[in-house]
Amino acid sequence: MRLGTVAARKPRNRWPDATPWLLLVPIAVSLGTVSVYPILNGLWLSLRNTSLVSQQDDFVGLLNYGVLLGDDAFWNAWRHTLVFTFVSTALETVIGMGMALLLFEQFTGRSLIRAAMLVPWAMPTVVTSKMFGWLFDGQHGVVNWLLLSAGLIRDNINWYGSVDHALGTIIVADVWKTTPFMALLLLAGLQTIDGSLTEAARMDGAKTWQAFLYVRLPMLWSTLLIAGLFRALDAFRVFDLVYVLTGGGPADSTETLSTLSYKTLFSTLQFGYGSTLSTAMFITEAIIAVGFAVFIVRQLGRAR
Amino acid sequence: MSNDKTAALQSGLGPIGRREFLAGAGLAAGASLLGAPRARAADRVEITFSSAKFFGKQTMAEVVEAYNQSQSKVHVTYVELPPPSSSTEVHQALVQQLVRKTGTPDVFTQDVVWIAEMAGAGWALPLDEYFPASARTDYFPGLVAACTYNNKLTALPWFVDSGMLYYRTDLLEAAGAKVPETWADLVSTAEAIQKSGKAKFGYLWQGKQAEVLVCDAVEVIASNGGAILSADGKSGALGSDKSIEAIQFLYDTINKSKISPSDVLSWDEEPSRQPFTGGDAAFLRNWSYVYSIAQDPKGSSVVGKVGVAPLPHFAGGKSAACLGGYQFGVNAATKNREAAIDFLTWMSSPATQLRFALQLGIAPTRPAVYDDAQLGKEQPFMKQLKSVFVGATPRPVTPKYAQVTLAIQSGVSKALVSGNVKAELEAANTRIDQILGK
Repeated sequence: MRLGTVAARKPRNRWPDATPWLLLVPIAVSLGTVSVYPILNGLWLSLRNTSLVSQQDDFVGLLNYGVLLGDDAFWNAWRHTLVFTFVSTALETVIGMGMALLLFEQFTGRSLIRAAMLVPWAMPTVVTSKMFGWLFDGQHGVVNWLLLSAGLIRDNINWYGSVDHALGTIIVADVWKTTPFMALLLLAGLQTIDGSLTEAARMDGAKTWQAFLYVRLPMLWSTLLIAGLFRALDAFRVFDLVYVLTGGGPADSTETLSTLSYKTLFSTLQFGYGSTLSTAMFITEAIIAVGFAVFIVRQLGRAR
Repeated sequence: MSNDKTAALQSGLGPIGRREFLAGAGLAAGASLLGAPRARAADRVEITFSSAKFFGKQTMAEVVEAYNQSQSKVHVTYVELPPPSSSTEVHQALVQQLVRKTGTPDVFTQDVVWIAEMAGAGWALPLDEYFPASARTDYFPGLVAACTYNNKLTALPWFVDSGMLYYRTDLLEAAGAKVPETWADLVSTAEAIQKSGKAKFGYLWQGKQAEVLVCDAVEVIASNGGAILSADGKSGALGSDKSIEAIQFLYDTINKSKISPSDVLSWDEEPSRQPFTGGDAAFLRNWSYVYSIAQDPKGSSVVGKVGVAPLPHFAGGKSAACLGGYQFGVNAATKNREAAIDFLTWMSSPATQLRFALQLGIAPTRPAVYDDAQLGKEQPFMKQLKSVFVGATPRPVTPKYAQVTLAIQSGVSKALVSGNVKAELEAANTRIDQILGK
């Protein structure tokens, strides 16, 4: 907005200086309207008791944040979200790394497999959710049948109806869906590493795992961190899997920050407190992002 | 000309017989055919009608069009919202429009649980003067109660649905058992059938942490003479002995009598319906839609073996069926009150209710419509439901229902999962008190 006024005031006498500002106006306006304004408005709402239902709309200062700190439902969802984020990102990174290494090797049909690998990621999450709903169905699911047939379990496991398994099952669904995305990012990273380095290591007598551990992995660190950052921020917002599979239950055991804020904002229409929840989510995400960024910067520094 | 129109409009307001009304409507339609069609649209009062999407052999739009054809005073524009399965989105869309107070939509349909909220916020027009007490006796009493907030009628019944007990006639006969009237009967019959190996599951219900769990909870609690909220709706009663005993019963179906699999804790309507129509269960609690699926040879292995009855109750209690369905409301900010009421009168009339029942398969809110011969012939099942709907019990009536329901869902789910029924329900009750006290 401020850029716009600067641009409007200056052109008359000092046109050439204004040009870069003028060129920035479209992006500033679009970012301002779809990104900056909603964030600021969310912050503002989080300090009010706005609710469509009770029709209140007053400034209450930090009251909402006080309530939030003592709100068990929030901390419960906060913990689940962190567990989900860290476990799913870690699994996806490890498995994705393995897939990337496999797909990096030469073999017939490689391009076909590389393309096919992306199918889970390209599928709408709601479809994935429904599919996993069936796979892990407690009575007729394939997973229970396989485990029973293999003699690994004695009775059907109630995947979504038990507090011990529900979150884990949702993590499995997420890992299945998003690992290909990780693999693709890491594959791209692998391709930037000069092949002669691995070759040289081999000639020096390094075994395959040594060549990976001491040559490829160090060069892949920044890609790994950036991919991990993307994934962690994305996983933090998990919504559709939970919404479709469990609705947050049983006994709130799969409630995440996204589903909780959705319920508060759109089901109960408490825009004030709901915005406080989303602001808390925003802050947690920012902390995660900064954590990753510190590592990334350090890594880039070391690379130079 | 315009005076005639106002007179005709006002005459449509009072409660008039179906035949007279249809005759009038026919005359109006005939007259409008004779008149110049172009001038017609301009002379009409324009109102909008917003509803969740319902369809059967006909769509809502076709029914609205029939109203437009039936008279020449009002023209209704129909705005379709998502289907009732996306109830959160429908609610949000409605509230966002009503909160602006622009008068649009003039008439809307609402889930039965939103009525208190819409009335408490002053968005719904009180309808007492248009539908006096004498006219309200034509509807199921439970529904009129649900449409009344603070002693004012703020919604008009449209269609009804409620929880009911589905049972397998063949299995009951083989076990030599009667249709259970109490929960104890249900447990012993279900146990016997399970023991005989004729059905894998005794009783299926919905324990997923979702709105349907509140319905299942309301039914057991009310059938024990309890309630979730106090009579004035200002405090919780979920921690009372009667509520605890009722929820304990649901817990026991999984863990003690084992007539229900623990999977019910993650099941809503459809997952619980499938084993029943697949022939694996003796009893099922569900809504009216299950019947037509159970009788369809394409997807059901229990065709002709399914019966429906009111849900059982505790000894000394009365059967309770959680009330569902959508009801009409008029926007308090409407600029066309007469037209809106005229449309509403037509929509809720016996003739239109019969049309909804026959064409969209949704159950009338007027008991008298169930005695219609054509309905008995085309929808014989619906006729049986009359006795079920008489026991229809509303969910907690409070303007803060949206918050209260989340607290109930969470609390009851925790009680059912952990078995600490008393502690979890008391904790949920404290939460409900906090919400209501705000």
